Amino acid sequence: MWKWIQRQASPKVFYQTCINLRPWFFWPFIGFLTVGLYWALVVSPADYQQGDGYRIIFIHVPSAILSMLIYAIMAIAGGIGLIWQIKMAEVVAKVSAPIGAAFTIIALASGAIWGKPMWGAWWVWDARLTSELILLFLYLAYMSLNSAFDNPRTAAKSSSILAIVGLVNLPIIHYSVKWWNTLHQGYSVGTGGLKDPDMLIALALMFVASIFLYTTLVAIKAKTEVLIREQNARWVKDEVQGVIL
Amino acid sequence: MTMVEYFSFLPYGKYAFYVWLAYGVATLTVIFLFIGARRNHNNTLNSLKNKYSRGND
Repeated sequence: MWKWIQRQASPKVFYQTCINLRPWFFWPFIGFLTVGLYWALVVSPADYQQGDGYRIIFIHVPSAILSMLIYAIMAIAGGIGLIWQIKMAEVVAKVSAPIGAAFTIIALASGAIWGKPMWGAWWVWDARLTSELILLFLYLAYMSLNSAFDNPRTAAKSSSILAIVGLVNLPIIHYSVKWWNTLHQGYSVGTGGLKDPDMLIALALMFVASIFLYTTLVAIKAKTEVLIREQNARWVKDEVQGVIL
Repeated sequence: MTMVEYFSFLPYGKYAFYVWLAYGVATLTVIFLFIGARRNHNNTLNSLKNKYSRGND
């Protein structure tokens, strides 16, 4: 296993791994998504307080967790790139950013749509909402900083430092509902969270589906990024010229 | 007639508009991610092909 990971530092090996792994990520995503949606929209009962309106939770919570998880992965991969000069870690960090930003947008949008019927407002400047919005800005800052350099190594270095500094926002988002008196409801899992087993199963299925969605997209986007970075390598030339568009 | 009333014939009644809007936004975002990744890959292949065919790499 360790040997396998070490071999991924080679762009050519990593490129092939992305191709090999993609169906193993994509089809579980479709499977978990199908069962998860069925569990979320059909099997799970209505909530005793929020009626059927609570069903937004099944996309809101997984996308919010993923928005933070992907940020952590991005910062750690960026750190690995900084410390051990592993270019493929830089690739993972770079392609994770737009995916994480998309999950953040889904979390913010679904939260706003959920807030309207429950709170009477699309948006409030609550600690949870504000810190999640800052996470979106961190993603956007990372992406613009990364694209501001011609040299991909310099770009990865400066944007990785930004990502690592931004890590401080993650515990703020997580604990915001505890530290401050927020309009946002408390934790969805654990004490005070969902109690119905069907709701928890639906949430777990949608969470696993989101993880497979993320890994599928990384496998797809990393391929493109490797081709760009290694465009002067012989194997990339052969690979590109072998493809008929 | 508000949007909420208009869409109340769907499952989840008075919440139908909000629930389906949220699921719709999420679905569209994910579809855009896939389309964007595919387009980006094809554009990259095209520009690299052009670059190699010019023979100045």
